[in-house]
Amino acid sequence: MQGWTGKILDINLSNGGIEIVPLDMEMARLFLGGRGLGARLLWDLVGPEVEPLSPENVLIFTTGPITATGSQTSNRFNVSSKSPLTDTILHANSGGWWGMQLKRTGYDALIVRGKAKKPVVIEITPEGVALKDADHLWGKGVFETTEALGQSRNKRNVLCIGPAGENLVRIAAIMNDKERALARGGPGAVMGSKNLKAIVVEGQEKNKPADQDQFKFLLYETGKLLKASPLTSQALPEFGTAVVMNVINEIGALPTRNFQQSQFEDADKISGEAITDNILVKNQACWACPITCTRITKTKSDKEGEGPEFESAWAFGAQCGIDDLDTITEANYLCNDMGLDTISMGNTIGCAMELAEKGLIDDDLSFGQADKLLDLIRDTAYRRGIGGDMAEGSYRMAKKYGAPGLSMSVKKLEMPAYDPRGMQGQGLVFATGNRGACHETGNMLGPEVLALPRLIDRFATQGKAGIVSVHQDSAAVIDSLVYCKFTNLAVAEEFFARTLTAVTGELFTADDLMMVGERVWTLERLYNRREGFTKEDDTLPDRLLNEPVSGGPSEGFTVKLAPMLEEYYAFRGWDKNGVPKPEKLKELSLEFTIEVAYD
Amino acid sequence: MIDQRLYEEFRDIGRDIFVTGLTSSHGGNMSVRVGDKIIIKRRGAQFGRLKPSDFVETKFQGKDSGITRASTELIVHRAIYEKTSALAIIHAHPRTAITLSLSRDEIIPIDNEGSYLLRKIPVVTVELASGSKEMAEVVSEALRGYKIIMQRGHGCFSIGQTLEEAYHWVSALEEVSDIILEHKLMGEEMIEYRKHSESYAKW
Repeated sequence: MQGWTGKILDINLSNGGIEIVPLDMEMARLFLGGRGLGARLLWDLVGPEVEPLSPENVLIFTTGPITATGSQTSNRFNVSSKSPLTDTILHANSGGWWGMQLKRTGYDALIVRGKAKKPVVIEITPEGVALKDADHLWGKGVFETTEALGQSRNKRNVLCIGPAGENLVRIAAIMNDKERALARGGPGAVMGSKNLKAIVVEGQEKNKPADQDQFKFLLYETGKLLKASPLTSQALPEFGTAVVMNVINEIGALPTRNFQQSQFEDADKISGEAITDNILVKNQACWACPITCTRITKTKSDKEGEGPEFESAWAFGAQCGIDDLDTITEANYLCNDMGLDTISMGNTIGCAMELAEKGLIDDDLSFGQADKLLDLIRDTAYRRGIGGDMAEGSYRMAKKYGAPGLSMSVKKLEMPAYDPRGMQGQGLVFATGNRGACHETGNMLGPEVLALPRLIDRFATQGKAGIVSVHQDSAAVIDSLVYCKFTNLAVAEEFFARTLTAVTGELFTADDLMMVGERVWTLERLYNRREGFTKEDDTLPDRLLNEPVSGGPSEGFTVKLAPMLEEYYAFRGWDKNGVPKPEKLKELSLEFTIEVAYD
Repeated sequence: MIDQRLYEEFRDIGRDIFVTGLTSSHGGNMSVRVGDKIIIKRRGAQFGRLKPSDFVETKFQGKDSGITRASTELIVHRAIYEKTSALAIIHAHPRTAITLSLSRDEIIPIDNEGSYLLRKIPVVTVELASGSKEMAEVVSEALRGYKIIMQRGHGCFSIGQTLEEAYHWVSALEEVSDIILEHKLMGEEMIEYRKHSESYAKW
């Protein structure tokens, strides 16, 4: 089969060992690449006995079969590991150029094990693979490190950590191409724990589709659909991802002041429209992407960079009660330079603000204090003062001060910018998320708000489980190919299947792909079960289950989780305890997990 | 039990299917999947006059007493849910599409909207054309690659995440078929306006 190089690069930092091992092609067919292949490899490599920040944990960087083909958005890649924030499976993916370049080096995946004695950089070029001294880079920010290692868009691409990763901050991101992030779950801390500062890739190999004519036809048809969709051809290029800020706020689902309200009175000041009107310099695209949703912005103090995305603008904005777009934007730049997950950072600051306002921590912090934002981020990256608590993530911080319920997280992962009391299906997505509260693994924004594929009642619960499951499986397969989910706003799974068929020369239908998605989702579920997670972890913060929204279009609603969860387990073929039944595991070719499911 | 919101969706779409001529008064059927159950129109209920009591809840897999009242095509619906990621199914009898299916192995839209939405609708042939195992096998297999298919001389099966989505494909199929038929009756040569249109046959 074409599409895969058939090679995995396996590096052990403890002894400097560098090996090239063959990719099991049956595994590739079942899990494709990206998130799916990462989960499958992780299953074998990292068991429950491994501490996330120990040398025994691994980082697995994976591309997919369509990566670097030139198919629209075929630039993305994935990292898999065990999370130091959640102790669950960790997967995160990112765009830009680095993923495409890793594929061009001739590897489908890169496994990094062990711990280097002192800081190192991995360099993968046509000349070979080398481990290089990084003493001179340790302590430096992401921007300086990226420049120092010779980042060059289409030729040489840099992935690295900043001070947050070095200091083992549990919400630290890995950054690539300067300002793209593998953010959620703390992969930056895992990289820091290995004394690995950066990975540089330079490649020359091409990923040529098996059926060139059909591939070209699909490029043309996909391009037509992306142009025809107002979301991908107008809304995202014009306003970026924050185009949904006002939309979410209007329906009463924009979490505000640590989810105490679900509408922010100043949402328009931090919206996509405000970004375009006030700070946008130009928009930019990742490799092979016609959507161009990235914002290049400049603040009044002449600072320039990427962002903010919707989630970041919300996290430092509505979540913290802050409406100062310049400060929010600079907070985003600073997180990029420190190597921090903006969602977890902003959400944790909001949590600290509520803890302080309630007198649970001895600090004069309160909602709306824009002037404190940048210091709080630096203090977190360097673990100084209250930043030392925030570096542990919102759950551990809130628990330390006796109020874990004030952490707006699931499985310790901070929630993104949707109040599920106004989007019931989103509540089920968050509660069942394998990596915790996450909108990237089955976002219900489509059906519950944007009418994609059709508008459904956002307050209803009956029938939601099926739609949530389909969206979770779809997200898992998109993350395994690896595509950008924004293509899915205009292009259905059948296009992905036909493109995969054209690339590999082997027939894949849309339903074959959906089964891959279900397989990946179920394997992740079993990974977490092996780590000790149970149905009790499929829940939401008490606030969302028991405190009705106090005003606006979602007034009076809580999340009615129990009936949705029951329907969800039944739909997925799991038992009442949320454990996949043996026949389901056999159907999904996951027989090797049966022992874990029924130990 | 069917809740009020879901009942209203069935009722409204059922009425629209009947009044737009996509099926006869009692023909066709539709269902949704809820958890590990299927809610399906009962056998013989009128599409245009559906009441809450016209729906049957039955298991997704295995047998139960629900099958005594469920639509004749329940076996096909079950097979489709088993083999595809469908959450809703509509089976209707759109007359122009049925007419075209009598002489074609596939219906390829010539209008812009139909090309965008459907690209190609395959036509399958089944000897025992109602509620048979063979029909369940052939139809569900065909729907693994397409969101709507025609059974020659019988009708269409359409799938979606919601009933509304499945209805959209049925409605679009009949529009596509009307345009093909009317253009053929007009007898004039078509001026091709779609780049790569020859590739739709390979879809």
